[in-house]
Amino acid sequence: MLLPALVVLGLVIGLPMLRAVEMSFDTVNLRRPHLAGKLGLHNYDRLLSDPRAWSAVALSALYMAGTVAGSVALALAAALLTRRIVRGRALARLVFLLPWTFPAVVTALVWGVMYEGNFGVINRLLDHVPFIEGANWLVDRRTALGALILAQIWNEFPVAYVFILAGLHAIPEELYEAARIDRAGPFQQFRFITLPQLRYILAVVVILLMIMGFKSFPIIFILTGGGPAGATETLTVLTFTTAFRRLDFSYAATLGILAVAISVLLVLGYLRLVARLDAGRDGP
Amino acid sequence: MSDPYGPLRLHLLPFLRLASLCLLGSVALFPIYWMVVIALTPTGFSRTLTGILPQGVTLENFRALFTERPMLRWLGNSVLVAALSSALALLFGTSCGYVLSRLRFRGARLLMVAVLITQMMPATSIIVPLYILFRDLGLLDSIEGMVVGHVSLVVPLAIWMSKGFFDRIPADLDGAARIDGCTRLGAWWYVALPLALPGLAAIFIYGFVTSWHDFLFAHALVHSPQLWTAANAIASFRGEYFTLHEMQMAAALVFALPVVVMFVLMQRWIVSGALTGGVR
Repeated sequence: MLLPALVVLGLVIGLPMLRAVEMSFDTVNLRRPHLAGKLGLHNYDRLLSDPRAWSAVALSALYMAGTVAGSVALALAAALLTRRIVRGRALARLVFLLPWTFPAVVTALVWGVMYEGNFGVINRLLDHVPFIEGANWLVDRRTALGALILAQIWNEFPVAYVFILAGLHAIPEELYEAARIDRAGPFQQFRFITLPQLRYILAVVVILLMIMGFKSFPIIFILTGGGPAGATETLTVLTFTTAFRRLDFSYAATLGILAVAISVLLVLGYLRLVARLDAGRDGP
Repeated sequence: MSDPYGPLRLHLLPFLRLASLCLLGSVALFPIYWMVVIALTPTGFSRTLTGILPQGVTLENFRALFTERPMLRWLGNSVLVAALSSALALLFGTSCGYVLSRLRFRGARLLMVAVLITQMMPATSIIVPLYILFRDLGLLDSIEGMVVGHVSLVVPLAIWMSKGFFDRIPADLDGAARIDGCTRLGAWWYVALPLALPGLAAIFIYGFVTSWHDFLFAHALVHSPQLWTAANAIASFRGEYFTLHEMQMAAALVFALPVVVMFVLMQRWIVSGALTGGVR
């Protein structure tokens, strides 16, 4: 019974991954088919000296940092505000979970409509705000990445919200009672009880959101396609356009392997954290 | 001065909390509200909106979507691909998950980590070799190809989730079945699977939604418009109707609504499932 299951797994995932490794040593370029069959490390040589690839890695890192920071801040605020609600509790939670249920494609379309430079609602609303100018958010290279990050935050912060809310409910109420007896104010309670108690769950959330940010593709691809002038070209977008626009599948496979290597590091970090979380639960 | 926080705690803090809650909630809901407003605005008139209130309400955009565009066909393709791929992923995923939950063998943990990595890595890494493989196998631009592609997208999560569910069913139960003469396959089919049924339903739904929402595979593997899934079709609207926001929003709404409604109906159950599944 192990065998058929493993065969299927090998066929749908193992085989493509092996093919990717093979392609990365070959030259599979649909524009230059005559180059096929030349084996070597040339794709990896090219990767090491390709400024575009490393700029994509840096942009992915920036995108991850931005989405993680924004989502955690937003989710933490929402969770702290809804944790002790008695009336309308289910409704309040639903409000902060709802953006999660919208697909990335739809998120891209609606933010694209809102960001539109001439008659998008964001610029229309900013007309009423003194000192803040509207912009052509997705076309201006200074604002494009930030605009994409904001759309991604809207779509994914509910994931952080679910985890943080569960973490808050796991904090024993006696801790707060003791703190109130000791005359600790709300900010001291947050600083000395809530934050330390949430430590591990926040770490898990951060790494999960890093993985989600690193994987992100549809929002960036649909809204800017990596532009303007490469300002939002993350590793996933560069991998896709290298294969499907420039038809250089071998180099795209090499970029894909780089992405897998980065994912391995993230997953190992995640597993370590989860193991520590479990150990912490059993221990003192 | 008995309590320095007294007045603050009594009046200002609850008010500030409520105000920030309302503000944060409106920010979270605004894009959804705006999608509805634009989708209901007569075609071409969204650019004349000055405030955030709708001016004129029409269902014309939705009518055009289903009569002038093959939206029904695209939704049908999505249903077909999502149903087939999540059913297959469920079958393969649960058998794998069961084996990993019950059998102790060398490399089991490594296999689980490898499966987790395939779930966590960007799908762009797998679509590149998959495209070349499918080209050689003649699976490009076909519903079958997209089903196989989506199976590879859903199966890692199905394995992790089903292993979790089987871990919670005592091994003694199917052990007893084997003593009574069941094969390992029989113990899985007759004992463990029925017990894990609620979990299996959850895996099927996750698989269905993942396939329904997928844009990357749908965009890369299929070219003919009559074979597009809805995700790819509505994304194409941004290029085609760049300034016709009303049509884009109507299409986006139709595409998102089934999952949103399902989520609202099953909210409690999904959230607890997502937390115990632990992966997503």
